[in-house]
Amino acid sequence: MSNRIEKAFDALKAENKKAFITYVTAGLPTMEVTKEIIKAQVGYTDVIELGIPFSDPIADGPVIQQASYEAIQGGANITGAFRLMKELRSEGVNIPIVFMLYYNTVFNMGEEQFINKCRECGVDGLIIPDLPYEEQDGIRAAIGDDDTTILIQLIAPTSGERIPALLDGARGFVYCVSAMGVTGQEGTFHKSVEEYLRSVKSHSTIPVMMGFGIRTAEDVRPFKDIIDGAIVGTHFINLLREGDFKPDVATAYVKEFKEAINSL
Amino acid sequence: MNSKAYYGEYGGQFVAESLQNTLKEVEVAFEAAIRDPKFMEQYHYYLKQYVGRETPLYYAERLSKKYGTKIYLKREDLNHTGAHKINNVLGQILLAKRMGKTKVIAETGAGQHGVATATGAALFNMECTVYMGKEDVERQALNVMRMEMLGAKVVPVESGSNTLKDATNEAIRTWAKTAEDTFYIIGSAVGPHPYPRMVKEFQRIISIEAKRQHMEAEGRLPDVVMACVGGGSNCIGMFAEFIDEPGVELIGVEAAGKGVDTTEHAASISKGRVGILHGSKSYLLQDDDGNITLAHSISAGLDYPGIGPEHAYLHDTGRAKYVPITDVEAMDALMELTRIEGIIPAIESAHAVAYALKKAKEMTEDQSMIICLSGRGDKDVNTISNYLAGKGYLN
Repeated sequence: MSNRIEKAFDALKAENKKAFITYVTAGLPTMEVTKEIIKAQVGYTDVIELGIPFSDPIADGPVIQQASYEAIQGGANITGAFRLMKELRSEGVNIPIVFMLYYNTVFNMGEEQFINKCRECGVDGLIIPDLPYEEQDGIRAAIGDDDTTILIQLIAPTSGERIPALLDGARGFVYCVSAMGVTGQEGTFHKSVEEYLRSVKSHSTIPVMMGFGIRTAEDVRPFKDIIDGAIVGTHFINLLREGDFKPDVATAYVKEFKEAINSL
Repeated sequence: MNSKAYYGEYGGQFVAESLQNTLKEVEVAFEAAIRDPKFMEQYHYYLKQYVGRETPLYYAERLSKKYGTKIYLKREDLNHTGAHKINNVLGQILLAKRMGKTKVIAETGAGQHGVATATGAALFNMECTVYMGKEDVERQALNVMRMEMLGAKVVPVESGSNTLKDATNEAIRTWAKTAEDTFYIIGSAVGPHPYPRMVKEFQRIISIEAKRQHMEAEGRLPDVVMACVGGGSNCIGMFAEFIDEPGVELIGVEAAGKGVDTTEHAASISKGRVGILHGSKSYLLQDDDGNITLAHSISAGLDYPGIGPEHAYLHDTGRAKYVPITDVEAMDALMELTRIEGIIPAIESAHAVAYALKKAKEMTEDQSMIICLSGRGDKDVNTISNYLAGKGYLN
C-alpha cells in the first residue's frame, strides 16, 4: 500500500487519534496564498481537500460557490492547481491532498490523462460529488490497480441500502455528508444523522469521516464514539476570508480543532 | 452504470449521492404511472379540458404559397399558458401527487416553464417555488407577476451568470436538500435520468396528434418535421412519433445568437463539445478548462449552454439534423409569420420558422413540412419592440 492518505490514517489509528480534514479553494485569492495556507496546516491537519473551482458547483452552498467564482475570476484553473501540487511536493510538503472537483473538469481532460497527471503531481485522492457510484466505471478503469491516486466515496443520509455497495472496495476514508443537499448549512445535521453514521460505521472497514455544517470540534461531540474524524469546509473559508487569508489564522484554527477533537 | 439512463454515450445520472435514491423512486413511479391506464386517462383529461388540446395542425396557406411547399404549423401556442410547457408540467405534477409529494420546485429562464408550473401547482393545490436568474427576473417581470399571482414563490438566483443555467443549479441544490417531500419539475429534456425520458413522454402528445392530423390532411406522412431546440423539450415531443419513420426528415433548430462564429450564441451541437452539466452528459458550450460558458440568444427560452442527451444521440447517429439560426434570421421570420398568417410566434418558435423558410427552397409543391410552433409571442412583445426600435422596422 503506497497511498499517502491511507498511511496517514494508519498512523492515526495506531495512536488512537481522530482525523481532521479542511477544505480550501485553490486560487482563492491566489495560488501563492493557497500554497501558504496549505503549508500553514502541516502538523495539525491530516488531509487537505483542495477545491478546484468550477463554473457550476451544484454540490456547494453560497460560500464555496462564491469562493469558486472569485478564484475563476482570478485566473485559477485545473492547470494551475496541478502546478501548485507539483511545487508543494518539490518543496517537500508531504501532507496528503485530495482534489475536490466536479466531473466535467476530469472528463474534459480525459480520465486517463487526468489520473496520470494526478499521479505525476502528487494528488493522493479525488472527491467528485457529481460522480455517483453508478457513473464511476470510467474513472475506476483509469485508476486501475495503481493506488497513488484513489477515489473517495461519498455517502448520504438517504443512502440506506446502498451503503454496503458504496463501501465495497472503497479506499482511504469514507466521506459521510451530515446533511442533505449542499455544503455550508451550518449546524443543521440531518434528523437521523446518528443512526446513519452508525450504520456506515458498522459496515465500514475504513475510517468514517463526517463533513458538512461543522464549525468546531464541539459540533461533533455527539458522534465522537462513531466517527473517525471531521471535515470543515465552508466555516474554514469564512475564517480565512475574515482573517484576510493570513497563514497564521489557518494555523491557529486547525491547531485548536485538532487538539479539541482529540480531547472530546 | 444504469444502461437505461443512456442514449448511446449521452445521459446518465451525474448528481450527488444524496439524490440517487430519489431518482430511483421517481423512475419507478414514472414507469408505473405511464403504464397505468387510470393515470394516463387523468393526464389526458386535463390536457383536453384544462389545456385545450388537441391543438390544431394548421395549414399555413399564404406562407405555403409564397414559399412553394406545404407548410403546417403545430399550434402549441394555443395551449393554456401559451406554450407546450404545460403538457409536461401536468404529467409531472400528477406524478408528484401520485408519489405523495406536497411541494414542487422548478427552474425557469424566460418564465414559461415557471408559469406553467405555478399554474399546475394552483390547480392541484401544491406549494410551489420557482428559481429564476436575477437577470431574467428583471427581463421577464410580467411572467414573475403571473407566477406570484398564481401563488408561487419566485426566488431570484444570484450566482454565476444570473440566468437559466444558474437557476437550474439552485433548483438542483434545493432539491438535494428537500427531496424527501419535494418534487423537482424539470421543464426541458435535460437533467439526470429519468427526466429526459419523462419530459419526452409527456411532450409526445405533440407528435401523436400531429402525425394523425397530417395523415388526415394529406393521407401520408410529412417529409420534414422541425422544431426549435434550447434544452429540447418541444423538439423531442415533436420528433417522438417520427423517430421510427425513416422517410421523415427531422430537423432541430438551435439559436445561433449573433452568429456561430462569434462567442455569443447558444448552439450547443453546432459549436459545443461533450461534457457534463445538470446531471447528464451531452453537448455543451465550455472553455478549455471545462467551465461552462455563457449562452446567448435573443430568445430567453433558447439561452441555455446545453442540450438534452437524446438530441446529442440523434445528432451523432444522423437521425436528426441540428442547424443554427441567428437572432436576426429569427426576428425576420417572426415578422414574416406575423404579417402573412396573423400569428405572432414566440421568438423561440420563430427560429424553427426561419429555418423552415430556408428549407422550403429545396422542397417541391407536393411535399410538406410540419413546424412546431411551440409558443406564442405575447411574452416577447417588449423584446420585439426593443429590437424593432433598434432595427427601424415598422417605422
